[in-house]
Amino acid sequence: MVNIVIDEDACVGCGSCVEDCPNDVYEMDETKNKTKVVKLDDCMACLSCHEICPAQAMEHQDIHVAKRLYIDRKVNYALERII
Amino acid sequence: MEIEEIKGTFKPELIPKETGGDLDDYEDALHVLMKFMGSMSSALEQVSGRGANAIVYQAGKRMGHESAKMMEKTENLEQALDEMGDVLGHEFYFEKWKPSGQSSYTTQEGDQVVIKLLFMDCVVRQTLRRTGLPQKGPLCYLLYGYMVGAVEEVMDIKGKIDIDHVGPNACLKTLTIKWSGK
Repeated sequence: MVNIVIDEDACVGCGSCVEDCPNDVYEMDETKNKTKVVKLDDCMACLSCHEICPAQAMEHQDIHVAKRLYIDRKVNYALERII
Repeated sequence: MEIEEIKGTFKPELIPKETGGDLDDYEDALHVLMKFMGSMSSALEQVSGRGANAIVYQAGKRMGHESAKMMEKTENLEQALDEMGDVLGHEFYFEKWKPSGQSSYTTQEGDQVVIKLLFMDCVVRQTLRRTGLPQKGPLCYLLYGYMVGAVEEVMDIKGKIDIDHVGPNACLKTLTIKWSGK
């Protein structure tokens, strides 16, 4: 069962996730000017919202995380040594 | 980086036990192939325009027909999809999907049956990410063709796939089967 956690301190209330989600999982909370989850059962964990969120304010828990074989491990290793 | 040359003896053997590479070699090979595929896809689009989609779709469809030849023929769409899931394997891992308000995975629309498929692991998507190409391009049509070809082979009827949504972790597609389209 998917669970979505919104970091309200980080959310800037831009509404990008509300517009981008194909299943209308999010809505704007007009009083707080933050996004809120309204249709959790319809989330298919495509993670388009993650990609579009400028504040990285959301976390999806207990989902199928797709393989990322495109990541170059040697580059990652080199970056880890620098950062 | 210095490339180490490996020398050994090569004997004729029926079933080779060694592949002559480790995980790093596989990774390098995969990434080179991803770059080749991405480069081919964008070049094809540049030369053929929108016709690139049709070419790649046809290639995928041929692959789908070939892969599904060994599969058991059925008229049950859900059973066919389960079988296809086994053939496509983990690199094109998909599941049936329905919105929370819908009772069953399949819906009947006239003489058509519609089912939504959620592709979670997809080598095509990873290739596009590796090469910085957008989703929904010609390369995506390879998988659409593959699915349609496999469905046509297993069920002996016409089918089509449409993209509903593409995302970095999963893509939602609609498979439509036309019963009268034999």
